[in-house]
Amino acid sequence: MSKKHVGIISGKGGVGKTSLTASLAILASQDPEFNVMVLDCDVDAPNLAFLLPKDSSEEDRKDVFATLKAKFIEDKCIHCKKCIDEHFCEFNALSWDEEANIPIIDYISCEGCNACKVLCPETAFEIYPVKSGEIISYKTKYDFNLAYGKTRLGSTTSGKLVTDVKQHAQALPVYEDINLVLIDGPPGIGCPVIAMLTGLDYVITITEPTPSGLHDLIRAIEVVNQFNIPFGIVINKADLESPFQDEFKNFMEETKYPLLGSIDFDISVPESLSMALPLVIHDPKSKASKQIEKIYEKLREKVLEL
Amino acid sequence: MEEEEIIYFNHLDFRDTMKKPIKICVTGGKGGTGKTLVAINLAVMFRDNGKKILLLDGDVENPNTYLLLGTDLENGENVHFFIPKVNEDKCTKCGLCAKNCASNAILFVKDAYPIIIPNVCSGCKLCYKICPVNAIEENSKIIGKIYEKKLENMALFVGELKVSEARSAVIVEEAISKLNARLEKNNDEFDIIIYDTAPGAHCDVEKLIKEADLVIPVTEPTPFGKLDLMRIIELIELMEKKYKVIINRSSLLGFKDDFIKDLKEKKIDILGEIPLDQEIVNSYCQGIPLMAKNSPYNKKSSGAEAFDNIFSKLNEWVRDYSE
Repeated sequence: MSKKHVGIISGKGGVGKTSLTASLAILASQDPEFNVMVLDCDVDAPNLAFLLPKDSSEEDRKDVFATLKAKFIEDKCIHCKKCIDEHFCEFNALSWDEEANIPIIDYISCEGCNACKVLCPETAFEIYPVKSGEIISYKTKYDFNLAYGKTRLGSTTSGKLVTDVKQHAQALPVYEDINLVLIDGPPGIGCPVIAMLTGLDYVITITEPTPSGLHDLIRAIEVVNQFNIPFGIVINKADLESPFQDEFKNFMEETKYPLLGSIDFDISVPESLSMALPLVIHDPKSKASKQIEKIYEKLREKVLEL
Repeated sequence: MEEEEIIYFNHLDFRDTMKKPIKICVTGGKGGTGKTLVAINLAVMFRDNGKKILLLDGDVENPNTYLLLGTDLENGENVHFFIPKVNEDKCTKCGLCAKNCASNAILFVKDAYPIIIPNVCSGCKLCYKICPVNAIEENSKIIGKIYEKKLENMALFVGELKVSEARSAVIVEEAISKLNARLEKNNDEFDIIIYDTAPGAHCDVEKLIKEADLVIPVTEPTPFGKLDLMRIIELIELMEKKYKVIINRSSLLGFKDDFIKDLKEKKIDILGEIPLDQEIVNSYCQGIPLMAKNSPYNKKSSGAEAFDNIFSKLNEWVRDYSE
């Protein structure tokens, strides 16, 4: 079988992406059909490693310098204030300190675009790379490999780091023998999600039967469709006692979107999280575990068909 | 490679002289912890308490405030994003634009016209500004919308990223500057502004935290809630902002005691706890804020009482802060 890349996204945050990814990874690792590797591309909040910790061997850490920022060089400044008056910065990262009579760079807004450096008649700005995050990879104690990215706070380049994590994985020696890559995605539908979806073979969109869950699912599916990637829906907290259930069911019936499966609320889920264990390890006999097994079987079929 | 220290320069701050309105940013790091639930309920409680309120939904990838307020969005104003366009009649094929483009969004081969790659363009307009023969022209595409909505005694601003566009931060920035322009004209229009952020700790979230007088991270007593809370707190502290934490789903036991103990040891201020409550689920799913004065829900439910407690503490803070 050729290598397949499967991503898990949701639109809405906190609906169970990471918990599902961890359990699916365990099931895939026990399946003789697959040689699995897992990536966590939720680089703002990479939590998968918590459920899939490393074995006794060393982990590999690599710093990433993907962000550019401007730096002001006071010695060169002749206080002409052109940078403000001529609006060098389209990102509003420049403002003027009247007291000191120099420009101030707002670190968060700066995109490192080069404009201030090139436009300043005295070149009183420099552009330099800053550490935007790191990529960590290791062998989990469940005997498969995991790689994840973690942004440096304030570095503002989540999308780029997602691409870096994927490239990093491809360069690992173990990657060659892998035939299934499971990727835990970020919430939302913006830059990091788009970076993560690029090159995937199949997407699981997980949601919950609430108005926000549905609204965000619809937007996530729109993005997935733009990429023409086949997808299947997982409904988490499917038995939620909610006045929205009928509307949600109607939506699923009317759209005929492919349903991969449902997971009911089960106290074993928060329990397993508290113990830092994937659910199918913590309580394989629980209702939710059985439902995840069913989802896995369906996913397996899909992946083998691809 | 040499690494530079991150320095968060304080923006030239005229808010010190212009304290009104008070800006509160609801965030959390982790998704699905109840940010929007808290934001809309605080907004209606302030409103019913006689305050002039504006709620800004800065989760532009997936704005949900309006759903939970039971309203819809119409007549949004388009957010345009600059795209350079090469005027081949004027272009002398000097290559200066491509040479200076930090995003590598302009391809240039000698003796050919430069080719623009719009998806990579940062919109910095440097090419447009430096072209010696003005051969780069301003073109634009629509990447999202900003909706302004007048609700009953409350204003709502919603930023919405167009599906399949990536530059969410531009929408957030645009919503903030629209609001700030309005405040500059009349800073009496609102008493309190509440920002609802996206999950995560990226630039969309940073931009809103930067605006705030007080940040309220909403978390839940699970290991993931804790991990993400610690990360967002690190960011809030880097930005030197005041914050108070809300613990949602506080009746999820198992992990909670250790979590709270840890927060207390770190001297993290807890604004309140919200237990699991069916009334919250019902109100959430019906698009009527639980705490709205005229909402049909049980105001004695454990969730409603929790919100009452949180509100009275927050209101106290607001009073102290405005003095």
